[in-house]
Amino acid sequence: MSNLLSVENLTMKFGGLTAIDDLSFDAKNNQITSIIGPNGAGKTTVFNCLTGFYKPTNGQMFLHKEDSKISLRKYTDFKIAYVAKVARTFQNIRLFPAMSVLENLLVAQHNELMVASGYSLFGLLNLKSYRDKEQLAVDKAKYWLDIIGLTHRADDNAGDLPYGDQRKLEIVRAMCIEPRLLCLDEPAAGLNPKESAELNKLLKFIKTEKQTGILLIEHDMSVVMGISDHVVVLNYGKKIFEGTADQTKNSKEVIEAYLGVDE
Amino acid sequence: MEKKDIIQSFKDSFFTGLIALALFGPIVGLRTASKGEGLFITPQWGVVFVLVGLCILGRFLINLNSARKTEITFFSKFTSKFSALTEDKAKHFAITAILFAVVFPFLPFTDRYFMDVAIMILTYIMLGWGLNIVVGLAGLLDLGYVAFYAVGAYSYALIATTFGWSFWICLPLAGLFAAFFGILLGFPVLRLRGDYLAIVTLGFGEIIRIILINWYEVTNGPDGITGIPRPSFFGLPFKRSPDEGETSFHLFFNLEYSTMHRIIFLYYLILVLALITNYFTLKIRKLPVGRAWEALREDEIACKSLGVNPTNTKLTAFAIGAMFGGFAGSFFATRQAFISPESFTFIESAIIVAIVVLGGMGSQTGVVLASIFLIGITEMFRDLEQYRMIAFGGAMVLIMVFKPKGILANRKPTILMHGDKK
Repeated sequence: MSNLLSVENLTMKFGGLTAIDDLSFDAKNNQITSIIGPNGAGKTTVFNCLTGFYKPTNGQMFLHKEDSKISLRKYTDFKIAYVAKVARTFQNIRLFPAMSVLENLLVAQHNELMVASGYSLFGLLNLKSYRDKEQLAVDKAKYWLDIIGLTHRADDNAGDLPYGDQRKLEIVRAMCIEPRLLCLDEPAAGLNPKESAELNKLLKFIKTEKQTGILLIEHDMSVVMGISDHVVVLNYGKKIFEGTADQTKNSKEVIEAYLGVDE
Repeated sequence: MEKKDIIQSFKDSFFTGLIALALFGPIVGLRTASKGEGLFITPQWGVVFVLVGLCILGRFLINLNSARKTEITFFSKFTSKFSALTEDKAKHFAITAILFAVVFPFLPFTDRYFMDVAIMILTYIMLGWGLNIVVGLAGLLDLGYVAFYAVGAYSYALIATTFGWSFWICLPLAGLFAAFFGILLGFPVLRLRGDYLAIVTLGFGEIIRIILINWYEVTNGPDGITGIPRPSFFGLPFKRSPDEGETSFHLFFNLEYSTMHRIIFLYYLILVLALITNYFTLKIRKLPVGRAWEALREDEIACKSLGVNPTNTKLTAFAIGAMFGGFAGSFFATRQAFISPESFTFIESAIIVAIVVLGGMGSQTGVVLASIFLIGITEMFRDLEQYRMIAFGGAMVLIMVFKPKGILANRKPTILMHGDKK
């Protein structure tokens, strides 16, 4: 299995606070890599560095393509998703609530559609080439909606969906940009056991069927232990353990970080 | 309604009365009149008591109304019926409205005054539709929209008076200039949202007006620009006695000369311009860029995470909105034949924003209704002169009380997967 992402000596400081301290880890293609750790360990900060929302103080992040590698530091803002194809979801769901489910998925395909619509010119002329491309985009949206079982609600406002469905919609919306790396920030937060199980199924599907690596931040251990191929444990911005799910469960350092040390 | 509620609303109305008394007491109650030598104060407490009484009564009625939360009041029942009607039969409504607008100049009761008011309403409808792209779709609160209206008007006036080019060449140029200014304003405000954006755009509107006043060499300052060429009907001017070698409109069509010809032509001109704006907005809303505008209004961070370029998206919204403002400005210049910075004050921006917000953000039909309502009402009360603004403010308060989201506030998805179910 080849490497997809390698993070090298990543450091992020906010003034005097070191949120991430010299962190290095790798994530592989077609694998789910989980980042876990107590609250405030710096998990979301890692994501924000990877997806261009923060500029790291130090260190490198590389995304490997066949035999070349690109540095994520070079891309900021929307270019991470547009050029580097790194997609993410958010801890607090960020859908476009007043737009329909289908529209949410079409916005994710914005860049291809902009080119297809000749930067609006062909679209205004209503050319067939654009209409065909738009139909393809709708088909792609339908493909993903079928998978999460929301096709019947495609024309409803995204904000009107139940919480669990919104979570799933946010994930498939990120998948619509055809990412190489998908970063999920606590996708199971607030889900009931049944919804969590469905989420596991969806993530396993993405992992096996799509050429996408998944990076996962999660507190729900049933999700983490059930689907992770590799686990990275953070505490106070430092990596304290790295290994498979089983190794992590039995690691002394991890148990200490979560439960404290006997005095 | 419970006894507790009644006591509460009595209390509330009493305090409203106190505030009203504090306001109206000195403003209305003490009137200065000049008698012989010097000013004297004439108190008019009767008027004050009537006004305060009205405030107390009004507040009490509103309280009563809001206590019965489940019951729908007459007004909101009426408007909700109306929005249901326009949603179901949106097409029919639009066609009827356009047909009415087309035959309007030839209706028996239509006279010069009605035509002038109609032209004014149509100008505001066009401005409302233009601003709707920026405020309604992209969610960028622009309080300086009148700047683009001014840029359009002055570009047209300066090009037409300096080079003598025809209206149809100057119109797109004025639109382009305004779009350019839209981008110019767009750059510094890219990072701003909400209140901050509103303040900066407001400032921009004032800057343009002050430049127009002070740049005397080019804009002729507060004196304005006179003698702006009137539009011609495909080369046929509307003149009683045309210059040598020219044929005027009434001679060409063998009609009796009438000033109404030009008014009717202007009316159709602004109608066509407004309809083009509407058609364009409806079309572009369904294109990727239109969806990106709305997505940006909903959540900018999510947009970035999906690879949507927020800079370009915002700038196109500003540029296109400004362009239509520029077109409307050119029309204004050619209609008036005289423009000065006086015409482009903040109140114009405020009226246009009010039209968009009261109509229901992003609703095209709402803009039409709000324009007719606001401009029509202020015109109806023209005889009452200083009370016009009270009618204007009253209309706004009424809409905000009964329809806080605007007259028509339902958004239809730009694309449907399952087709129209209705």
